[in-house]
Amino acid sequence: MTEPPSLPRRAFLARTGGLGAAGAGLAGGHGRAAAAPMPGVEELIGLVRPVLAQLALDTFRGLAAFALPGDDAYSRAQGTPRGRAGGVTAEAGELVEASLDRFVPFPQEVARPLTMALVTATAEAGIELPRHLPSELGRLDAALRLLLRGDEKIPLSLVAAVLLGLLAAQVNPAATGGPFLSPFSRLSYRDKARAFELLEHTDSDLVALLDTHLPQPLRGSVSGLLKYLGSGLLSLVAFGCFTEHAVWDAARRDITALPVGWRLTGYDGRTDGLDDLKGYYQGRKEAVGRA
Amino acid sequence: MRDVIVVGAGGGGPVIAKELAERGLDVLLLEAGPRHARPREEWTHYENDANHPLTGFFRFGPADRAKSAWFRETPQSSFVMQLSGVGGTTQHYFANSPRAYPGVFSGYSGPDAGAYDTRHRFPFPYAELVPYYEWVEATLPVQTAAMGAKEEVYFQGCETLGIPVQTALTTTGDSYRPQQNAILQPGGHAGRTADPRLLVFPRSTGCTFCGHCSQGCMQPVHAPRNQFAKRSTDNSYVPMALTADAWSPGGRAAELITDAFVTRIHTEAGAATGVTWRTGATGDSHREDARAVVLSGGCTENPRLWHNSGLPDPNGWVGRGLTDHHLDFVVGVFDHDVGNSRGPGSAARCDFPGRGALEQTGFPPALQALILSTSDSGIRGAYTNGRGPRGPWDGPAGRVLGPQLADLMQDGGHDRLLNVLVLTDDDVEPDNRVLPSVFPADAHGPVPKVEVHHRRRSARTLANREFLARKATALLRGAGARTVLRVDMFPVPLHVQSSLRTGLDPRTSVLDADCRSRAVDRLYVADNSALANSLGGPNPTLTTQALATRTAERVFTRVFGGDPWVRTGAPVVSTDVRVSRRLAELGL
Repeated sequence: MTEPPSLPRRAFLARTGGLGAAGAGLAGGHGRAAAAPMPGVEELIGLVRPVLAQLALDTFRGLAAFALPGDDAYSRAQGTPRGRAGGVTAEAGELVEASLDRFVPFPQEVARPLTMALVTATAEAGIELPRHLPSELGRLDAALRLLLRGDEKIPLSLVAAVLLGLLAAQVNPAATGGPFLSPFSRLSYRDKARAFELLEHTDSDLVALLDTHLPQPLRGSVSGLLKYLGSGLLSLVAFGCFTEHAVWDAARRDITALPVGWRLTGYDGRTDGLDDLKGYYQGRKEAVGRA
Repeated sequence: MRDVIVVGAGGGGPVIAKELAERGLDVLLLEAGPRHARPREEWTHYENDANHPLTGFFRFGPADRAKSAWFRETPQSSFVMQLSGVGGTTQHYFANSPRAYPGVFSGYSGPDAGAYDTRHRFPFPYAELVPYYEWVEATLPVQTAAMGAKEEVYFQGCETLGIPVQTALTTTGDSYRPQQNAILQPGGHAGRTADPRLLVFPRSTGCTFCGHCSQGCMQPVHAPRNQFAKRSTDNSYVPMALTADAWSPGGRAAELITDAFVTRIHTEAGAATGVTWRTGATGDSHREDARAVVLSGGCTENPRLWHNSGLPDPNGWVGRGLTDHHLDFVVGVFDHDVGNSRGPGSAARCDFPGRGALEQTGFPPALQALILSTSDSGIRGAYTNGRGPRGPWDGPAGRVLGPQLADLMQDGGHDRLLNVLVLTDDDVEPDNRVLPSVFPADAHGPVPKVEVHHRRRSARTLANREFLARKATALLRGAGARTVLRVDMFPVPLHVQSSLRTGLDPRTSVLDADCRSRAVDRLYVADNSALANSLGGPNPTLTTQALATRTAERVFTRVFGGDPWVRTGAPVVSTDVRVSRRLAELGL
């Protein structure tokens, strides 16, 4: 498999939020002082993976707010705040990330070239890069190169998150910078819808571009796959907004509090029976005869 | 050497297993997923626990829930609602059991004979299947559904359509009616209380109106397994197959092995001789031989197994001709509670022979939100994907998401929604199909690709869907809906049929009129994939089970030299106390 040139990878990192995410990881979460020696490439992979996971989660929180807005920062950022808890509080973003990474048996033989194709497509997408690229970018680039070439599993959540990041950057180039790690989460509600419109559009330029960067026999299959992925994200997150997963106690097989979706709707689904029998239509309890 | 190996314990396989075990044959029933033997310990009413498509106990995946689901390629925006486990998709179905329209069978000469898929009829007349319908209807048993709040509202809408009430079992014209469903009707306190002290068998019997059909039926509490309200095959045919020696003179209990994914059908000299399966927990392979093999793994898995076994496909129709009722949802928004999340999932319907059917459908909130998001017309109010059909409903069709979803669902909003499912009479089309994927194989061999063309369907199919969406809208307006939303659903192959179809024409069918492979002797098919077409729109399970009963008879007479029984015998009802007693003795 041909390795993408380094410039596309750098552009990819900058344009899909990987830069901000990795920067945050390098600066904070790992206790590394600014003056400490910079980590080696192998160690960088260890730093990149969790921050890319963070990027994915941030993206899916933006998606959860898109499906069911509430009283959270993501809903405020997209311009549709509401006075009650929504999909973010219901942890629908967490549900999507965990589902993609742990339970979709997405073949690595597909995930890896698709990620590479995304890297290249991002570089060719004509999105303005920040004027001064930070020095970490070279090291991150090396880490990403190893990740893409190595035997480690590419998480499907990362594939989906960078796909949404790429779409976000196309819809609104300014989304490559700002609050949140994820460019998608920085979009307005209407721009998020436009990102999905790009993904779902039958003759999307993006899909065509990705297709040309995939090896046979996968070429031609990716467009359907991406539509499936995009569509599945919307359906899964809508489902997740109203379920009990955030308050689930696996050991007791029961909930520890009322789920957000139940509080919003007033539903209580625990009963073994209800008083809703109204009788039989026209009093008939049996169908008769052959015609 | 077994007499018969049945591959798959879903809606059809257990029927064959029970019928042949009842007659003393040595039957091995193999199921790739788990058997939920103790639902009160293994299931809950919670939607994520049950219905999460990747992790729920009702998913398409191995018995071990900590492991990934099984990947299937769908090269379009869609979701294939397959379920593994004993009972297959009947574990979460709504148990609707209408008969097919007579017009989809050969020999039909009614005035509307030209209104159906005339090139792909069943290879025998409707009257041929009636005794088998009656046998299954008595065995399950099938009964007339009771009304809850949502059915009352639905019937109010039906009364404005100018069509009559159907009171018979066979549908002969446009009409509406309560469902004939495979649910034991409420008895005692069932349906009349939410008091847990009263919702216990035998103080309550049959359907308790809990609203959890999609999460699997385990009602009433403490009922024997074969007396659970919903007659999914894990509650009806499987218990009968496993206890056949206890209630049938000369019967022999079938053996059920779960966590057993069949990877190969073996043949010798043009006849099926046995199967190999892989045990999920260990990865070990096993092989058994049999005098006949019956495929019942489902519309996707049967063609996969056929291809992966290298079985002949002389006319290229293995996996082709998949029908799915080209489903759609039309949703009415009311100003008052219509009981969406309460009672059985679907208890009322309309029939339009030559067009399809409509059925009332109720959901708890997460599935309701999922349904509202399954559109091929983009996001309502934002973009349309070049579709967004307009009509008598309000605004363009599309996904309901974001602020509009929140507005719709909050403060009991989900219970003010009435869903009408459109079941289109769709044509058998060769390009809707299951074929081997180019994606990497899994532990069971090359994976299948399910190709369903949403936008490129026959003119008749498309016209039928639009006709029905308009009828559904009229029904909902008649019932008093304030707003009507159309989803324009993307393909959700849920009612899947006919991927290994029986038919008169050997050029376009895989099975002969006995549901036996034309290409491989002693290989039969007994699930939805054997159906000749989409039945005209009625839900497929009852017809699959009637056809499987007929196929069991053909296997028994052709392969084993036995006598037929359906026209001469009397069926035992699956709730029989002898079945309950033996299940208890066996700890099942």
